[in-house]
Amino acid sequence: MSNSVISVISRFLDEYGTTTPNKLKVVDAYLLYILLTGALQFLYCLLVGTFPFNSFLSGFISCVGSFILAVCLRIQINPQNKGDFLSISPERAFADFLFAHTVLHLVVMNFIG
Amino acid sequence: MQNLLSQQFTDLESAYYSVVGLTKLGATVPDHEVRKTFVKSQLDSTSVDSLFFAAEISRAISGCEIPVSNETRDLLLAAVSEDSTMTQIHRAVSALSSLGLPLASQEVVGSLTARINKEDNVMAITMALQTASQLSQQAELGGILEEIEDLTARLDDLGGLYLQFEEGLEATAMFVTAAYSLSDHVDMEPPIKEDQVIQLVNSIFSKKSWDSLSEAFSVASAAAALSGNRFHVPVVVTAQVTSPSLSLSDSQLLVTDVISQPLDSANVVVESAYAVASKTAILNQAPFTINDGIFELNFMSSQPASGYYQFTIAVTGDSRLVANHVELKVKVSTEVAVTNMDLSVVDKDQSIGTKTTRVDYPSKAKSSFTADSHQNFAMSFQLVDVNTGVELTPHQTFVRLHNQKTGQEVVFVAEPDSKNLYKFELDTAERKSEFDSISGTYSLYLIVGDATLENPILWNVADVILKFVDEEAPATVQPKTLYVPKPEIQHLFREPEKKPPTVVSNTFTALILSPFLLLLILWFKLGANISSFSFSPSTILFHLGHAAMLGLMYVYWTHLNMFQTLKYLAIIGGVTFLAGNRMLAQKAVKRYAWCTSECMIHDLLVIRCSVRAQRGSHSFFHSFIHCHVCNN
Repeated sequence: MSNSVISVISRFLDEYGTTTPNKLKVVDAYLLYILLTGALQFLYCLLVGTFPFNSFLSGFISCVGSFILAVCLRIQINPQNKGDFLSISPERAFADFLFAHTVLHLVVMNFIG
Repeated sequence: MQNLLSQQFTDLESAYYSVVGLTKLGATVPDHEVRKTFVKSQLDSTSVDSLFFAAEISRAISGCEIPVSNETRDLLLAAVSEDSTMTQIHRAVSALSSLGLPLASQEVVGSLTARINKEDNVMAITMALQTASQLSQQAELGGILEEIEDLTARLDDLGGLYLQFEEGLEATAMFVTAAYSLSDHVDMEPPIKEDQVIQLVNSIFSKKSWDSLSEAFSVASAAAALSGNRFHVPVVVTAQVTSPSLSLSDSQLLVTDVISQPLDSANVVVESAYAVASKTAILNQAPFTINDGIFELNFMSSQPASGYYQFTIAVTGDSRLVANHVELKVKVSTEVAVTNMDLSVVDKDQSIGTKTTRVDYPSKAKSSFTADSHQNFAMSFQLVDVNTGVELTPHQTFVRLHNQKTGQEVVFVAEPDSKNLYKFELDTAERKSEFDSISGTYSLYLIVGDATLENPILWNVADVILKFVDEEAPATVQPKTLYVPKPEIQHLFREPEKKPPTVVSNTFTALILSPFLLLLILWFKLGANISSFSFSPSTILFHLGHAAMLGLMYVYWTHLNMFQTLKYLAIIGGVTFLAGNRMLAQKAVKRYAWCTSECMIHDLLVIRCSVRAQRGSHSFFHSFIHCHVCNN
């Protein structure tokens, strides 16, 4: 049973390594980073307590928001999805990504206290 | 008021108020000669005001002649026109009539009506009324008469008791004077109702001291007007009930008009009098006899019981009298005596017979009484009216027990039974909490009081020795410490929440930053680079702008508030947006340009790459690689 899981995972990783273009791999690395940061924040909150609750919330929401926006970017610049986003070029997706991030950071900074 | 009006004056205006005011009150003006020379020296023939004051004073005091010249007369006549203020017109007309000079009444009426339309305030219209009363009777004064009614409507009703103008006492008093003088002049009753007159009198004469000479003068004029006019004369009834105890047999009333002149021709009759408590009438239509200006009635001869009585009094005799039905409250008081005071100590189980001692007022019982927890102490007495012999039930009948040593006192109420016999019983065991169980000698006082009693009683009847079970050590009575500063309360501020130790925080901060390192490593491994970085101005601007925005975020966290941040963000963001737009467009064009070129020969678009290109509106699948004409 575990064998098949391991074989599935290794095969997935192989295919991932070969088929995904470099750009997407860059974005995936960024996604991994965001994920880890968010998880660590949550761990801290569980262990130590929610003392400055607003700070915890703003940090966590920043991670979650960034993750979502990066996922959107990845979807939009993936060449395999070109049919779904005919009117949105990668540059446009990137610009949207930047704008949404500005708003997100404004809110996060307001809340971080 | 006479004192205020008799003061020394420094100018003609105050001289006018003082002299004329005193004359209206019917008092004599002191220092005639001084005043006359003063007036003559102060007279300024070129001023209408000065002429007015002097003329009025000369009318009041005899023998004070003012020299009148043609210029003076012309000056005064010229002042009577539509262009001068109402005050000017009034003073000019009064001066003319006091000096005996002729004036054209119709012209005056014309200018008065014109001024009334222009100056619509109370004082102006009052002065118009006053002026009109000086004119001849042939003139058409009807329009001005109507103003009285208008002004009456403007009076403010305060609580149903007072009626006055909101401009104050002086305006109200001058209005009354002017209205009555004009009504007398044209011989028509002023349209002021009786209860309005009563209310006006209340408000004008309610003040006992006046702020200024002109105010005092206005009140004096109003008083004179109200006593001397032909239509309404308010009556003032004051009771002079000096000592209504049964020893004096009369109750006296002073019936006067507003200037305290007694109305001799009036008849004063008591229409009815009844006791307030029982509503039984004791007098009906009893006349007062006049005795040297004071009206007296001997009603004690009908032997009324003590208490409060309501008298309704009517003053008749003159058809002008107003406010001639008055209600007075009279109190008849009496003296009380305590009779049949019996003191006894009764045993609770009634096994031992009672020992009754009679005590007479005002002496004290010879022996003291002892009562312990098995016995009751009892007291009974009667309260009797001295003159009539009727039993009384006054409001306050208290029994007070006073401990001489500790200063403690306890008060009880004695209640009457159905036969008006007062009884008081002290149950020693039951009441010991009120005495704090302190045994000892208590002096017993009887306190009797009432509003209708002339001799309240405080009588030390006897000494009582009370013995309580469970006696505690007699503690001195502490005065209640109510007003001593209380212990201070320390305010506890909200404790800040416990923070985790700095070590833990720092550790986790480092931990959080570690994925960033991971990111950089991964990117390096993937080969992400900035090799296609072109140094065009828009690119540089874009990156700078972006960095500035991130820096702004940090500054927002530390220093700014939302509004300032939004302001800066708008500026930087706008710049960044424009630069970024250009930069991204250039990037897109470059990518697109890499795929296409033109056939040199045929000027046709040749697309070289076979990879599907994505670029805005130009995204299409490149399917041909050569110029379709020449296959290049």
